[in-house]
Amino acid sequence: MVRPKSKFLNALARGLGDHLEKDNILREYEAHIDEILLESLDCNDEEEMMNRLVSRLGSPDEIVQMWKEELSVTPSNMKWLFILLNIVLFCGGSLLTLVHNLYEWDWITKVWNYLTAIPTLIAFLYMFFWALLGYEIGRGFGHGGRRLLRTTFLLSLIPNLTLMILTVFEVIPHGWFAPLLTKTFIVACIVFTMVLYPISWLGYRWGRKASI
Amino acid sequence: MFNRELVKGSTSLILLQLLNERNMYGYELVKELEKRSDHGLSVKEGTLYPALHKLEKQEYIDCYWQEQEKGPARKYYRITEAGRELLREKTREWQDFVKVMNKVIGRSNHGTAEE
Repeated sequence: MVRPKSKFLNALARGLGDHLEKDNILREYEAHIDEILLESLDCNDEEEMMNRLVSRLGSPDEIVQMWKEELSVTPSNMKWLFILLNIVLFCGGSLLTLVHNLYEWDWITKVWNYLTAIPTLIAFLYMFFWALLGYEIGRGFGHGGRRLLRTTFLLSLIPNLTLMILTVFEVIPHGWFAPLLTKTFIVACIVFTMVLYPISWLGYRWGRKASI
Repeated sequence: MFNRELVKGSTSLILLQLLNERNMYGYELVKELEKRSDHGLSVKEGTLYPALHKLEKQEYIDCYWQEQEKGPARKYYRITEAGRELLREKTREWQDFVKVMNKVIGRSNHGTAEE
């Protein structure tokens, strides 16, 4: 009954493509199939044996689907997803500021005025983004997500710190952020930045609870 | 047979519970699960490995290969301290849930009887 085993493993191998962990995964299924074969002496032919394998293990397609889902959640994917999201938010804000200051377009001025009238709401929405970052890492990587959270947080913070430095040293003219750049707003920005990590950490703890 | 989604949602908790008792390899886990549940909880055996991989990625379990005198090497899984901690937390949560559900179901049966 070697053929049903090879057929099953070949179908799995094809479905898994050239993933790095493919050999280890197949090795484990091979050991499992060997155990099933040992207790399937009642199977009379290869077709019956193949049906037994599929009924106990699930079809190769089903298994491959589950593995694809599992292997798609990698620390690297998660890290870059959030870093890129933060960059997109920053680029969006920077572009809006730049266009608003360089061109006198009415609709941009309207958007700018609308957004600068609700800084607290925007700050809270942004804090939600950091909480979500922590939550998703906790949910996907559980206890193993601690290091990933730290790395992702530090890398994602680069645009924030760069903007702060450029503003403090007036590389970006303060006038560009009018009427936002008041003393209260600067203090609020510093406080919000300081609480970003605790917020992400709380999100992570929450996500960890949902990790299994 | 129980609802498939219910079993799927409890698989990780069951695996952690079994591994909390001793280190086991995949096939052994399946057999132990069947034995403990009188064949009431059966999962597609092939779907167990992605679930174990996820728990390993989350550092709730780790693994090692062990050569056998006869037959191919087996991959053994073992629970970590973080896994034990999570198991305690989830078991408590599960027991509380069952307690509340029993109360609710008991109360609704009572209500139906009175009607």
